[in-house]
Amino acid sequence: MAATQFVVNGLLVGALFAGVAVGFALIWGVVDIINLAHGEMVMLGGYTSYWVLTLITGNAEGSPLLFLATIPVAIAVLFGIGYALQRTLVSRVIGTDIFLTLLVTFGASIAIQQLAIQAWSANPRSIQVSFADPSMTLAGIVVPKMKLVAFAGALVLTALMYVFLQKTRTGRAIRAVSQNPEAAALVGIDVEHTRAVTFGVSSAIAGGIGAFIAVILNIQPQMGLIYTLKSFIIVVFGGVGSIPGALIGGLLLGSVEELVAGFASSQWTLAVSFSLLIVLLILKPKGLFGQEADQ
Amino acid sequence: MSTTDEESGGVLRSILPPEQVDRFLGTCDDYGWPLLGLGALVAASFPLLGLEGGYYMTVLTEMFLFAILALSWDIVGGQTGYPSFGNMAFFGIGAYATAILTKDFALAFPVAFLLAGLLAVTFAAIIGIVVLRLRGHYFAIATLGVLLVAQQVSRILDITGGASGKILLETPSAETFYYLFLGVLVFEMGLVYYLSGTRFGFVLNAIRDDEEKATAMGFNTTYYKTAAWMLAGLFTGFAGAAYSLFNTFIDPQTAYNGAWNVELIAMALLGGSGTVAGPVIGAFGLHTIIELVETYAVGWQLVLLGGAVIITVIGFPKGVVGTLSEYASQMDYYKHGGMAATDTDDGSEVSADE
Repeated sequence: MAATQFVVNGLLVGALFAGVAVGFALIWGVVDIINLAHGEMVMLGGYTSYWVLTLITGNAEGSPLLFLATIPVAIAVLFGIGYALQRTLVSRVIGTDIFLTLLVTFGASIAIQQLAIQAWSANPRSIQVSFADPSMTLAGIVVPKMKLVAFAGALVLTALMYVFLQKTRTGRAIRAVSQNPEAAALVGIDVEHTRAVTFGVSSAIAGGIGAFIAVILNIQPQMGLIYTLKSFIIVVFGGVGSIPGALIGGLLLGSVEELVAGFASSQWTLAVSFSLLIVLLILKPKGLFGQEADQ
Repeated sequence: MSTTDEESGGVLRSILPPEQVDRFLGTCDDYGWPLLGLGALVAASFPLLGLEGGYYMTVLTEMFLFAILALSWDIVGGQTGYPSFGNMAFFGIGAYATAILTKDFALAFPVAFLLAGLLAVTFAAIIGIVVLRLRGHYFAIATLGVLLVAQQVSRILDITGGASGKILLETPSAETFYYLFLGVLVFEMGLVYYLSGTRFGFVLNAIRDDEEKATAMGFNTTYYKTAAWMLAGLFTGFAGAAYSLFNTFIDPQTAYNGAWNVELIAMALLGGSGTVAGPVIGAFGLHTIIELVETYAVGWQLVLLGGAVIITVIGFPKGVVGTLSEYASQMDYYKHGGMAATDTDDGSEVSADE
C-alpha cells in the first residue's frame, strides 16, 4: 500500500517537473540551447506569485481562487524576462561553440541567484492557500487538495503550450525555425523574434509552474539548479523535442524520486536520478521517444 | 568589429611589438622554458622578502591554487574540447582524502597528499570511462551531475563528517602551502607546456577540432582523452588535497563548490583556453578582482562572477592570450604582405603564405 501512496505522490509532483521540463525541451529543440538558467525562471515565477499575493492580501496567504489569479501575472512577467534574456544575451552566442552558450546561461543563472538572495534573503518561503479541508482520501490513498490543483494546473499549462505550438501562427513559426532556421528566414519569418518568443514561452510556463511549486513545496533563491537538472534528466529520458516524452518522463521521475525517498531516504533522490540518467545516456542516447528535433 | 581591432591595435602596436607578443605567448619554443623557470624563481623568492604568514601570502597561495585548477580544467576543456562542469569533484575527493587520512588514520601529510592524488586519478579513470562517451551538452551536464552526486554523498556519509564537515587543526605552516601550491603549479605548467609539443598534445587538439577525423586517422581517441582527463584529475586532486589542510576546514559546500567550478572555467576562458599561459593569467586576473569584491562588496561575488563570465564569453571568446596572439599573427600577416595596403613600411610584394 505504501508503494501506491508513494507513486501517487510522485505522479502529483511529477506533473510539475514535467511542466518545467517541457519549457526546457522547447528551447533545446528550437534554439538548440541548454538553458542553465531555466530553474531560475521557476524560482522567479514562484517569487512573482508570492509578491502579487502579498500585495493583495498583506501576507502570502489567500483563497485558492485568489492564488490562481496570480498565475497569469507570473506567466506574463516571466515571458518578458525570457524574451529579454534571449534578445540581450543568448542571441549573441547562438551559432558559436555549444560550450559558450552553456557558460552564458550559467553566468546568468548564478547572477540571478545572488540578486534574488539580495532581494528576498536566502530563507525558504511558501504561499499558504486555505482550504477548508486540506486533503481527501481516495481508496485509502491520501491526496492533498492543493497538490491536486497544482497537478491539474501543470497539465493545463502544458496542454496550452502544446495547443499554442500546434495551432497558432506563432507556434507554426516556432516549429519552422526549429526545423530549419535558414528556410524559415527565407519565407519571411523573423527568426530572432521567433526565438525570443520561444524563450519567453518557455520561461513563462516555468514561471507558472514555479507559482504552483511555491504552494505545495517552497521557494528559495538557490532552488533553480535542481530544477534545471531535473529538466535535463526528463528531456534526455523523453527525447529532445518531444512534449509527450517530457510529460511521461516527468511523471516517471517524480514517481522514482518519491519511491527512493519513501523506501530509502530523500537524501538519495538526486544521486539515484542522476545515476539513472547516466545509465540511460549510455544505453539509449536519444531517449525513449527520441527523434532529434533539428534533424 | 574591424574598426575596434584597428584602434586597439594602434595602441597595442606602440607598446608591444607583435612579433614579441607572439613569441612570448604561444609559439615560443626558445623562450618557454626559461620564462617558466624565471617566473618560478621570482615567485619562489617572494616569501623571502618578508611576506611570510601575511595576508598577501595567503592571497598569492590562493592564486596558485586557482591557477592549478584552471590549467587542469583546460587540459580537458580547452585542449581536448570536452567542457567539464564537474572538475571540482576531483578537488573534493582530494580534499576529503587528506582530511580523513591525516585526522582519522594519523598519516603524515606528504603520504596523505600523494594517496589523495592517487585516489583522484582512480576516480577520474572510472568516471571518465562513463562520461567521456558523451559529447557537448550531454558531457557538460553529466559532469555537473557527477559533482552534485559526489557532494550529496559526502553529505550523507559518516566518515566525511556529514553536512557539518571536518575541522583540521594540526596543519603545516602557511609557507609550506605557498611552496607546495607553487611547486605543483610550476610542475603542471611545465608538463602541459612539454606535452603541447608532443604527439599527445597534438592528438588532444585534434580531438577538439574533429574527433571523428582523429579516430579515422588511427588514433585511439578514447585512450588520449581518458589520459587527459586523468591528468586533470590528478592535479585537481592534488590542489584539493592541499586545500583542506590549508583551509583548516572542509565541508560538502567548500569541497564540491559548484561556483568555483564556474570560476575556474571563467579563468581559463578569460586568459585564453587551449594555451599554457592563458589559464594562469586568467586565474591571477580574475582572482584579484574576486578578492577585491570580497573585501569591498560582500554578497555580490556571484553577480560579478556571472557578469564576468557573460562579458568574457560575448566579448572575448578567445581570452586575453587568444586575442593578443590573434592580433600578433594578424600583424605578422600584414607585415609580410597580405591585405595591408596601408602598412607602407614593408611595401614589397610577398606572397601571403610564406
